[in-house]
Amino acid sequence: MEELLAEVVNVLVVIVEACGAAVIIIGAVWAFARFAWVGFRQRTTAAFVPVRLTLGRFLALGLEFQLASDVLRTAVAPSWEELGQLAAVAAIRTALNYFLSKEIAEERRQVAAEQDHHEVTSTDHRGSGV
Amino acid sequence: MSAVAEVTRLAALGTGLAAVVAGALALVVTRRPLPALAVLLDLLLAAGLLRLAGDPDWQGIVTAAAIVALRHLIGVGLRAGGRAWTGPRPPAASAQEKSAL
Repeated sequence: MEELLAEVVNVLVVIVEACGAAVIIIGAVWAFARFAWVGFRQRTTAAFVPVRLTLGRFLALGLEFQLASDVLRTAVAPSWEELGQLAAVAAIRTALNYFLSKEIAEERRQVAAEQDHHEVTSTDHRGSGV
Repeated sequence: MSAVAEVTRLAALGTGLAAVVAGALALVVTRRPLPALAVLLDLLLAAGLLRLAGDPDWQGIVTAAAIVALRHLIGVGLRAGGRAWTGPRPPAASAQEKSAL
């Protein structure tokens, strides 16, 4: 019974981890294509920020999958060595997820502040023109 | 090495290469090092995360942790530097400039 559980959990871990890796790979490929597009077409620093924000969201989603696979792995961790490695990887991923979400929130705040600033400036210009 | 680990190892290599290319492109286009460094670090972070997938050994874990820590450190430094350049000027400095004029 225990062996069957270990086998099922191992299969689930591989599936969930592959999903997380797929999300990160798709995000990286998409972001690289968008970086190239923005670089060749728009050529402005501000155009890179939304792409970085979306890449951050992809990475956060991939991290959630990978953390889920870490949680599944704790169901079957036979040796202290494996448990130690699992704890280290889970700690890195958890810290990264925390900091990544903080960075995304900070960048979104900055983008919103810049948009507000542009709107106020354009309203002032229109007002002085009348 | 499992198939997932092999695929993620190759994907991490490709993502690292893409990071260098995208960072160089951003540097050429914007002519500003900070946004280019941010682009480079974001994609390098993705490569570091892919490196952690599969069954990493201790060396892989330490390497990925170092990349993540370094990226975070540089990111904090960049944001602090950016705020210092773009933030509001202290009133003492602007008053000093006015009196000099």
